[in-house]
Amino acid sequence: MAEIDTSGGGGGGKHGGKVRGKKLSTKVDLTPMVDLAFLLITFFMLTTSLNKPKAMDLSMPKKDDTKKQDVKESQVLNVLLGKDDVVWYYGTEEGKMTDMKQTTFAGDQGIREVLLKKQKQVEKMHGHDKEYGDKMIVLIKMAEGAKYKDMVDILDEMDITKTRIYAIQDIVPIEQETIDNNGKVKAGEEIEKVTK
Amino acid sequence: MPKVKIPRKSTSVDMTAMCDVSFLLLTFFILTSKFKPTEPVAIDLPNSRSEIQVNDAIKISVDKNGKAYINYPSATFRLKALEKMAEYYKDKYPNLVNLTDKQKANFAQVETFGFNAKTNVGELLNKKPDEISAESTGIPIDSADNQLGDWVMAGRYADVDINHPSARNAIRIAIKGDKNTDVKAVQEVIKTLTEKDIHTFNLITTLAGGSSAAAAEKKE
Repeated sequence: MAEIDTSGGGGGGKHGGKVRGKKLSTKVDLTPMVDLAFLLITFFMLTTSLNKPKAMDLSMPKKDDTKKQDVKESQVLNVLLGKDDVVWYYGTEEGKMTDMKQTTFAGDQGIREVLLKKQKQVEKMHGHDKEYGDKMIVLIKMAEGAKYKDMVDILDEMDITKTRIYAIQDIVPIEQETIDNNGKVKAGEEIEKVTK
Repeated sequence: MPKVKIPRKSTSVDMTAMCDVSFLLLTFFILTSKFKPTEPVAIDLPNSRSEIQVNDAIKISVDKNGKAYINYPSATFRLKALEKMAEYYKDKYPNLVNLTDKQKANFAQVETFGFNAKTNVGELLNKKPDEISAESTGIPIDSADNQLGDWVMAGRYADVDINHPSARNAIRIAIKGDKNTDVKAVQEVIKTLTEKDIHTFNLITTLAGGSSAAAAEKKE
């Protein structure tokens, strides 16, 4: 501290104490200000365009639509959305509820992998379809405690995996029971009730 | 040859002009960006990779407690919808019939509203628009008293009067659900719409981060 004081005094002494009317330039360096302005511009541009809400289309079947389709059990994958982002599914092997399994929405290892696998399986079994690519049918059901986010996520997965045929359906009581029972069908229950 | 003296030029550039331009742009962006419309409840939208833009639509908001609100595209639209509501469903909602011009004007100011039309609406609409918005309790959607369906229909009638759309470009219906709301509340809204013969509608989402979409693109 003391050193600063002495050096300051010495500096002044060199000029003989003469106060020089230093001409200060009136120009201010505006570079940082420009930097700041452009930063703000970038910020506003990015936030305004990113905040724009997007929408997804959703079509529900008409109630009086009596056109029945012939659906084979092996085409169908049942996806049930439970609480805490858990996804239950069955129908990967024989469409039986006994092999109800659990997965998540997590990226490549989640339900997406299941869907893609089933797609290939269905295409192998039922051949290629001109209109839809494959004939996989996904039935989406909402179990107790599912969040709206889960519904949007699964619809998103349909889009990502290019699944063309899917429907949102009401859950059957036995399916809810099975989920509550951690994926095991209660002994003695008729599984045909669901899979018919 | 004489020695050519190259004058030393300063490397600093005058930034004033650039500063002017950048602040002009900044002002432009701030002014043109639309402010978020005031809503009675904050709605946390779910993410999706969908990129469809929806401009004019009757938006049905579902908050995280499962309450429904409705949002018509403009003030004129809201006014018309209120008239249609009183015209078509006057037996159901007698409280909506004899509203004063002031009450109607107040109603038109509220962008997103949600109240039970069977309660004393006149008293509510005497208040200031922000107060009306703050006192939103949600539009009943249960099957016994489904007022949301009537509001949607009133909106469609209003659309016919205002925009004269052909069958194909009738106003869209969009559902704006909170991502943490129980899916049952949204399904209830969907059921309401299908009962009114609306089978195609939009779900409003925000764009997800690029990672999941990019991952999917890679797989294909």
